Formats: sequence, C-alpha cells, structure tokens
Amino acid sequence: MKSFIILIITATLAHADTTIEGHVELPKTKSAPVMAKRYEIVTKGGVLSTNPPIAIIYLEGSFAKPASLPMRKIIQKDFTFQPSLLAVQTGTKVEFPNQDDTYHNVFSFSPAKRFDLGRHRPEDDPVPSEVFDKAGMITLRCDIHEHMRGIVLVVDTPHFVISGTDGNFKLSGLPAGTYKLKAWIDSRTTLEKPVTLTGGTLKVNFP
Amino acid sequence: MILPRAISLALLTLTAVSVHGEDFLDRVDESLTFSGFNDQVRARFSGWLDFEYYNFSGDAPGLIFTDDHDLFNPRLTLFFDAHIGASCYFFAQARVDRGFDPSDAPMEARMEEYALRWTPWDAGRFHVQVGRFATIVGSYVKRHQSWENPFINAPLIYENMTSIYDSEAPPDAQAFGGEESKYHYNPVIWGPSYATGMSVSGKLGKFDYAVEIKNASLSSRPESWDARDSGFQYPTLSARLAWHPNMAWTLGVSASEGSYMTEQAQPDLPPGTGLGDFKEKVLGQDISFAWHHWQLWAEVYEARFEVPNVGNADTLGYYLEAKYKFTPNLCGALRWNQQFFADVPNGKGGEKPWGHDLSRIDAAMTYRFTPHMQMKLQYSVQHEDQVVNAVAHLIATQFTLRY
Repeated sequence: MKSFIILIITATLAHADTTIEGHVELPKTKSAPVMAKRYEIVTKGGVLSTNPPIAIIYLEGSFAKPASLPMRKIIQKDFTFQPSLLAVQTGTKVEFPNQDDTYHNVFSFSPAKRFDLGRHRPEDDPVPSEVFDKAGMITLRCDIHEHMRGIVLVVDTPHFVISGTDGNFKLSGLPAGTYKLKAWIDSRTTLEKPVTLTGGTLKVNFP
Repeated sequence: MILPRAISLALLTLTAVSVHGEDFLDRVDESLTFSGFNDQVRARFSGWLDFEYYNFSGDAPGLIFTDDHDLFNPRLTLFFDAHIGASCYFFAQARVDRGFDPSDAPMEARMEEYALRWTPWDAGRFHVQVGRFATIVGSYVKRHQSWENPFINAPLIYENMTSIYDSEAPPDAQAFGGEESKYHYNPVIWGPSYATGMSVSGKLGKFDYAVEIKNASLSSRPESWDARDSGFQYPTLSARLAWHPNMAWTLGVSASEGSYMTEQAQPDLPPGTGLGDFKEKVLGQDISFAWHHWQLWAEVYEARFEVPNVGNADTLGYYLEAKYKFTPNLCGALRWNQQFFADVPNGKGGEKPWGHDLSRIDAAMTYRFTPHMQMKLQYSVQHEDQVVNAVAHLIATQFTLRY
C-alpha cells in the first residue's frame, strides 16, 4: 500500500504541469542596419526595420526526443531575415525562402552549422533548407548583402520560448524535476538559474 | 617542405583564431553603426585591410608599377555609408596605400569615392547621383573590390596598358607606340574609373538603365579623376542598358565617348585641333549568370582612340570568367582574357598593328576563414605576340580582413 502511494505521488509529480513566468533584463536596442549599395541599383532597402532585443528562455535537462519536429521558416524579405532570431529544437529542419525580387545567398560559418545555400530565386523548388542537428548559436548571413544578419539558436530541449520585447516570458507545460533554466540574451550572454519544478507557477527573473 | 607546412600551420592558426574573431568583428561592426531620429538617419563605418604580394617573371603586368620582380602592397580601405530617410544615400571610400594601383611608391592617403544619391520614388525607377564614383559601364565594377573579386587583379581590358599616351600627342605615325615607362600609357578602361560627375539610373521592369557624365574618359589615369585636377571642359558621356530576362541572367550593352588626352598634350596637337577632337569611343557588351554556387561573367569591348597625327587606333578585348563555390569556405575561379589590336598607318605608306595581341589565363582560389577574413592565391600566365619574352607568369596572394 505504501509503495503504491509513493508511486502515485511520483507519477503525479513527473507529470506536474509547471509554468515558469518571469522577466529578462534586455540590452538596449542596437542601431538599425545600414545597407551598402554603392555599386547596385537597389529598389528598396533605404530604411530597414530595427529588430528590438529579445531573449530565448529554455529549460536544460534530459528530455525524450519527439518522433518528428515541425518545420520552421526564415524568410528573406526586404533585405532582412524574418524572423531575425529563431529558436529551434535540435534536429529541426528550417526552410529559407527568398521573397525579394533579387538573389540572396544564405550562409553560416558558425561551428554548430556550417553551410552555404548558394544563390536562390523566389521560385526555386524545393525551397532551400537545412537541418540543425547540433545545439549552439548559428549566425546567418547573406553573401550578397553584407548587412543582413540572423540568428538560429538550436537548443537540445523541447521547452523553450521567446520573450516579448518587454522581456517578459511564460514557459508552460513543464515536467517536474530539477533543471537549469537558461536565458540566452545575445552571443556573449546566456544567464542561468537552477529550478525545481513541482507543479503550479514559478516566478524567475533574470538577472 | 617547409613552405607547405608553414602555410598549413598559418591556415590552422587563422581558422582557430577566426572562431572568436568572427564575434569580435561583428561587435566592431555594431559599434561602428549609428542611427537616430527614429532610425531615419543611419550611418556605418566599415573597412578592409588588404595585404598583397605579387611575384612576376618579367616586367610588372597590368596596373602594377615597379621595376622589381616582386611587390608587397598593403592597403587600408575605409567606407562610410549613410542613409537619410528612404531617399538619400551617401557613400565614401578612402584608401591608405602605395597608390591606387599596386606600386613601390610611398604610402599615401586618398579619398577615392564620395557621392550623394537621391531616390525620389520608392520603386527605384529613378536615381540621381552626384560626386566621384565608379563608372556605370560594364559589369566588372560591381565586383572590383578585393572582397567580391574572385581574383586579385582586374580583367585584361581593365588593366592592360596600350600604346595610347594621354599627355603627349605623337609627332607622326612612326613615333606612335614609343617605349616610355609603363605609367605614361593608358588601358581601355582604367580599373573602376572613379571619375567625377553625375549619373541617372534606375530599374524599369526587367531593365536597368544608367547614364553618366564624367570629367574624364574611361581610359583616364587616377590623377585625372578628381574635379580639382580635371574639369568638365571635355566631358565623357557613358550609358548602359541591361536586361534581366530572369534573376539568373543579365545581358547589358554599354557605350562611352569622351576626350582622353590631358591638357599637357595640347601643345602637341595638330594646328586647328583641340583636345575635344580626339576621343575614346567604347562599345561594350556583357552577360552574366548566377545560380546556386555558380557565377559566370563575360564582357567584350570594342574601343577606338582617335590619335593625333596617326588616325584611329582600334582594339577589341574580351574575357570569360567563372567562379564556383566548392564549400562554404572555398571557391575557385578561372578567367580567359584576350585583347587584339588593329592596324594603324606606319608612316611609311604601310600599316602596322598598334599593339601586341595578348592572351592571358587567370586561375585563383579563395579561402574564407570567417565572414570577415579571406585569403586568395592566384596564378596567371600571359602570352604576348611578337615580343622576345612572349610568356610571362604572375603569382599573387592577397589576405583581406573586413570589418
């Protein structure tokens, strides 16, 4: 009877649907990118959109890998990567459709994923894609348009969320246990805090 | 054995350093980018540091100026790009090096380009640009800087010194094509030709157009490019029309006409003539293709120089160039160049070609360590008709750091 009760409690804790809410202190907004068009007739690209800083919050631990992962997209539009920051789980396939009326050439020299998609047209079928099979930060660039930058953060967990531009986040559906909660802020800054999840809502702020 | 090991060690070291260097140079880039007024005004300083080494078997080829058989050429290039709203764009390029072309001259600092572009409508169908900037003729200008150029030098037609002499007129046909030092002569197009003037350009559907009026001809030397050194008494008019049937292909035609002689030549001109009577006329055609990891370019130029006391000196030059990216880091390029010279009167009642026909093949490999650092290695072999040392070799290497 005693061991049955322990089993019930353990099972309940393991499936406890915990939520973490909190706030990440974000850095100040960076200057907007500047497009060099000295030798090109460019129809657009005068004023590029500014991407306000956001953070990626993820729970680091040992989790079962899902059988399949949803495909994600990063579009090249108006001479920018949209979204400019994408978080994906290890093993996710990301497509890179070109929606501008000119060539783009997406590439990365980052150790976590080194690739070069070459010059691609909007009508190219299949749409160029890459599978991100190693955790880490990948900086995306365009070989033609130097100002274009994007980031793919590959995390080895299904539990991650992108903060709002105000720094607030909410990570739901977390299993019970003891983990590290990490907040990726930029290429140099990843903050972490140990958390023990037992159900309910936990408040965690960075820093 | 020592050299390959040293090169391998250098590559390994650079690759290891580059992993951290990429992030550092990205931060440098961010710190040199500024914006204000709700991002309506934005500016960026950037630059390249080049180290080039040339070794050649005979006389220095193309636009390299030295009496030795090798040359080390460091160059710092600084760029400034600024946008004011969606309509105004300003850019400038300054260099610190041993002259515009690789030479053994002392280091100097110069402003190479400065131009203001106004784009009144968002669709880009009309731009006006004023200042000192690269020519709109042809397709090479878009990749003439060291980071974009798959080679270390320019195609033959942009750098081969002909017998045209812009500061003196030959007294007669026999004297045309003398043996002065190389810098006295002119190519058909002097590199990117950063002359001063105004251009109008735009996109209309599948067509690009551009027209420019400049103070110096395409063949003019760098000393003639600045408005303070060469005014607009004898302007050069150039135009280009390009058709893009789709994103992969571009077909263009260019034409240019303008006086090519400097005021120093005025006293030598035949009586009753002026500098405006002797022009360089250029007709160019270009085609380019890009798809995935391939890029191909070809240009053919027909040029005519009206030479005082001689007549028309015609030449035709072309090149075919291919680049392929083998891996994200490594690309290779191959270029075949030729230039032919027509006959001119020899002053003895007959005719003679006014230059030696040339063929050159260029092969280059580029290795990019990071998005900010690359190294090129190039080998060229050139054959020149009717000269004693008909075959000449060039080995060159170039290291570029971009920030």
